Amino acid sequence: MQESTFNELADLALRNSGQHFAPTKSYLMDARLSSISRRESFATLDDLVQCLKARPNPRFEQEVAAALTSKKTSFFSERAVIEQIMGHALPERLKLSKSGKLRIWCAGVSTGQEAWSLAIRLKEEVGSPLASADIEIIGSDLSTDCVETAKRGVYGHFDVQKGLSIHRLITNFNRLDNGEWEINDDLRGSVFFRRQNLLNPASDLGGFDVILCSNVIGGLARPAQRQVLETLSKQLLPEAYIFFGADEAIEGLSDTVTPSREMRSAFIRAASSGATAAA
Amino acid sequence: MKHCLIVDDSRVVRTVAGRIIQDLSFTVSEAAHGAEALDMCRKEMPDAILLDWNMPVMNGLDFLRALRREEKGKEPVVVFCTNENDSEHISEAIRAGANEYIMKPFDAEIVESKFAEVGLV
Repeated sequence: MQESTFNELADLALRNSGQHFAPTKSYLMDARLSSISRRESFATLDDLVQCLKARPNPRFEQEVAAALTSKKTSFFSERAVIEQIMGHALPERLKLSKSGKLRIWCAGVSTGQEAWSLAIRLKEEVGSPLASADIEIIGSDLSTDCVETAKRGVYGHFDVQKGLSIHRLITNFNRLDNGEWEINDDLRGSVFFRRQNLLNPASDLGGFDVILCSNVIGGLARPAQRQVLETLSKQLLPEAYIFFGADEAIEGLSDTVTPSREMRSAFIRAASSGATAAA
Repeated sequence: MKHCLIVDDSRVVRTVAGRIIQDLSFTVSEAAHGAEALDMCRKEMPDAILLDWNMPVMNGLDFLRALRREEKGKEPVVVFCTNENDSEHISEAIRAGANEYIMKPFDAEIVESKFAEVGLV
């Protein structure tokens, strides 16, 4: 890949998704754009960039930016965070809820495994107050392809064996004739997926009791990290919780959220943020 | 160091799985069928058993049922590792006392994930 091609693609990623690419990561661009290049019959990424420059196409540019994002995910990849959500965040929010309705947003959910993991874990809350609560899970991602995969809820042989116990697999999935596994109908009604660029306002999503955003912030340039935190914190209901990946450093990035006193990895909307999410 | 017994009639599978499991800090021993594995367990009960289903002499399911009847036979964590990938076989294995189930083909990440599910790593 020519240096100018790397620079063009790095700028495109920064503009559209806030993602930061160091020059040493050009191999990631090759890997992540190989599918689009093949489909569009570009011999090299240099050709792809030349095409984008010669015939600007915002839709294709966004597709390229989405393809450049990391898709790495697995079921229960944030197991400790999910247990904090189940054991503390949701019960606390339920105590404050007059309607018994709670809303969770999995932001940057890639192909949906983390959102389905939450739904699976919630289904296991038999006999707890959460069992009778009306809990809606929204999963969002920048990539339309990822959102479509998440909506289908069909995962391959290797995907379902990473993070899912065999008990959870046979309880919550049906094996299809082609060897893939499809999420059961009883979980489908509780999870919804849509496209969302976290650099843009998400006010139409409404307010949330819990937001989970793992493995997103770390790959972004500093200004984009602040912008995403602002987008997310604006959708937090008062005293609601936001969680990031267990290894992601958020403190000091923005004053819109502040660490929770009760839970590691959890933050709450800062009183000074002035955010006003509607219930 | 924990000890894992790999029971599979394919030497290739035993070798590949053995390397993966050694990388998870286990010592590894091998058996080519259930009867050989049962003899080995009677001499020294392993911490974990990676178990194929279809094998000559004694298959994995018969081995597992016999193992669980042995004194201390409930102690090893048994992870099936087989081409029998449908829900019926999986349910039957769990009823017989399997703790986890790996569907072939597998890779190192799957073995580590499944061993983590049952607290082996």
